[in-house]
Amino acid sequence: MALRNTTRRWGVVAQTFHWIIVALIITQVTLAEMADDLPAGVRKLSLLARHKSVGITILGLVVLRLAWRWMNQHPPLPQTLKPYEQALARFTHVALYVLLFLVPLTGWTFSSARGFPVSWFGFFQLPDLVPKSRPLYDALMDAHHVLAWTLVGVAVLHAAAALKHHFWHKDDVLKRMLPFTRT
Amino acid sequence: MRKPTFSLALAAALLAGGVLASAPAAAASHYTLDAAKSTLEFTFLQAGAKDTGRFPRFTVTLDCTGADPAGGRLEVTVDVAALDTGDQERDETLRSDDLFAVAKFPQAHFLATRIVKTAGGYEAEGALTIRGVTRETRVPFTFREATEGGAAVGYMAGKTVVRRLDFGVGQGDWKATDQAGNEVTVAFTLRLTSAAH
Repeated sequence: MALRNTTRRWGVVAQTFHWIIVALIITQVTLAEMADDLPAGVRKLSLLARHKSVGITILGLVVLRLAWRWMNQHPPLPQTLKPYEQALARFTHVALYVLLFLVPLTGWTFSSARGFPVSWFGFFQLPDLVPKSRPLYDALMDAHHVLAWTLVGVAVLHAAAALKHHFWHKDDVLKRMLPFTRT
Repeated sequence: MRKPTFSLALAAALLAGGVLASAPAAAASHYTLDAAKSTLEFTFLQAGAKDTGRFPRFTVTLDCTGADPAGGRLEVTVDVAALDTGDQERDETLRSDDLFAVAKFPQAHFLATRIVKTAGGYEAEGALTIRGVTRETRVPFTFREATEGGAAVGYMAGKTVVRRLDFGVGQGDWKATDQAGNEVTVAFTLRLTSAAH
């Protein structure tokens, strides 16, 4: 299997980015929900510290992923799609990339506004993006929640569409993003 | 070797005694804190990130000879419950029983009865009590004397590292140091005013 993308399928690098980010988003939702249920304490701090570190990891991976995307060709949308379906598919993908930036960035920013700086797994501390401000913290935290759940919603739609292609249209849209398959 | 050293020390003592006797005796100074122009801060590691809080309410007295802290006595009392890290939820957590337990131990206290001159300034050695636990602690500091509006003032600054677990600040889950670091840097910049007497 090729590292780079072909006109028929996604290469190993693009697939790795895709599936690692899927796993990390699931991790993020799990960590956030677990932390939400806890009172202030070490356990909560620990979960949220991990949530922040994983979020920064996602942000870094998305930058690399987009760079890789621009350096590569990529398999086109199936010709069987109607124009409005193609437009919808493009919009969904752009939305996913935009949200993959905005969700970590609002998280990082609201941490700064709260006055709880972000550390990446304890290895280094990230700079504060905004000065400490309670109203800004409240607004950014709301934005982070809305954007995060929007990301989950769009991702579910995206996955449902891939499954529809696979089982309904019986094309190779899903398979070309899956390892160990042939297209 | 013992005898010459002893003689030398004796000669030095006699000489010093003679010099002191001939110089005018320096007055005893009693410095107190100018709270409005002083800060007492603590820097800690939370979840791998550095952050700073402050103790807005504390008192300091320094008793010494003239404007020389060496040989003097330094006493600091801190209202721990007034701590401020800029985050209400965190402040409440810090005041709780597992951390500072301010309901039972509202004050921290430092009493230095040995102050010596060092290469970089001074060092105060004494008993630091936090959360009811007392430990011998050394605090290096600098001291600069000035005259402002005809009155003698002293500027004192320094910092020291306190290991919170040495004082039991961190019970239960808080004994772990991965989310809340054990080492806390306490830094102070003080303006002291003197009432010479």
